[in-house]
Amino acid sequence: MSHHLFLLSPSDTPLYSLTHHSTKPVPSVTSPLASNLPTWSTSAFAGTLTALSGASSATQHTSGGAVRVGGGQDRHVIQMIANAGLDVIEDVMRRENTMYLKSVDKFNEWTVSAFITPGNMKFVLLHEAKNDEGIRQFFMEVWEVYVKTMLNPFQTAHTAIRSSVFDNRVRASARKYL
Amino acid sequence: MATSNKQYKAIGEELWKGRSEKINAELFALTYGALVVQLIQDYEDYEEVNKQLEKMGYNIGTRLIEDFLAKSNLGRCADFREVGEVVAKVGFKSFLNISPTVTHGAAQPPTSPSRPTSNASITQAASAGATFTLTLDENPLAEFVELPDEALEGGLWFSNVLCGVLRGALEMVQLQVQAEFISDVLRGDDSTEIRVKLVKYLEEEVPVGDD
Repeated sequence: MSHHLFLLSPSDTPLYSLTHHSTKPVPSVTSPLASNLPTWSTSAFAGTLTALSGASSATQHTSGGAVRVGGGQDRHVIQMIANAGLDVIEDVMRRENTMYLKSVDKFNEWTVSAFITPGNMKFVLLHEAKNDEGIRQFFMEVWEVYVKTMLNPFQTAHTAIRSSVFDNRVRASARKYL
Repeated sequence: MATSNKQYKAIGEELWKGRSEKINAELFALTYGALVVQLIQDYEDYEEVNKQLEKMGYNIGTRLIEDFLAKSNLGRCADFREVGEVVAKVGFKSFLNISPTVTHGAAQPPTSPSRPTSNASITQAASAGATFTLTLDENPLAEFVELPDEALEGGLWFSNVLCGVLRGALEMVQLQVQAEFISDVLRGDDSTEIRVKLVKYLEEEVPVGDD
């Protein structure tokens, strides 16, 4: 079971993305490659842009992103789902005041959950199974790590997050909660 | 040395506690960080940014030393070694509330035996070329900072203002020094170290203006 996390700035530029393969046993679709080496792909701008521009070639430029067959597993489909969810997220954002918006959208087997920080950063998580409490805790931890990263003077709200400290913490969090 | 290390530590502590106006550490770190980032954007050359930080530090140091001497009431140091001790234990402590460790280096010709600090004149001929190294185990200026790759490659010393402060302050007490960073944890080294090297004692009046 895999999860895809995207952090988007207030102007909807992707600042960070992560694909996490959970090792928790969940009855769900298994793709042949999923249970092998966990492929951590942390593409920033490049991967997202090539995907969004409609490049549907199977070969991806994203570092290490495993290209798998099967519905909804391709990288650019993931991107599309995430983007489609943005509209819904903004709708819900206006109505509700909470930070953790549970699952805002569903697409085939993917559910989109979102978390809006007070600074209007959107954390979007695509996942297959239901895991509200775990995801909420995950989001809270990612938020904490994000705030600490933001204190770095070289990091603005619109630059991609390349810090390896941030990366490691988010992965550890993902392992813990997802 | 007439005043022992313990006394320096105690003096430093007292001065820090006695300060009525302190600044929030986060605010300080964020302000300094914003300053460095702005300098980088303006100059676009990391060597130049280093120089500018040092210059700014120099201007701060020339003023800071007055405050320091007024509050601490310390007399002249007997030798350069003592300068290092005072800088580390009293100076850094009273302004930044950190206690860097001092390592003295470079062969010094035997200086005169310790005398009472007040009225002692610094031994003139000896110890030009003496150095001491300050090892900072914590750096309040770089609290949340991670350097991006360009800064690492460009050779940025993030806290270079401290070197300028040391140079400016010591120049006001007739010591011409060179202060530079040797290593920095922001760059991936094990520790943050500043080496201060004595160039010469300034005999005549300090020249007005450095530019």
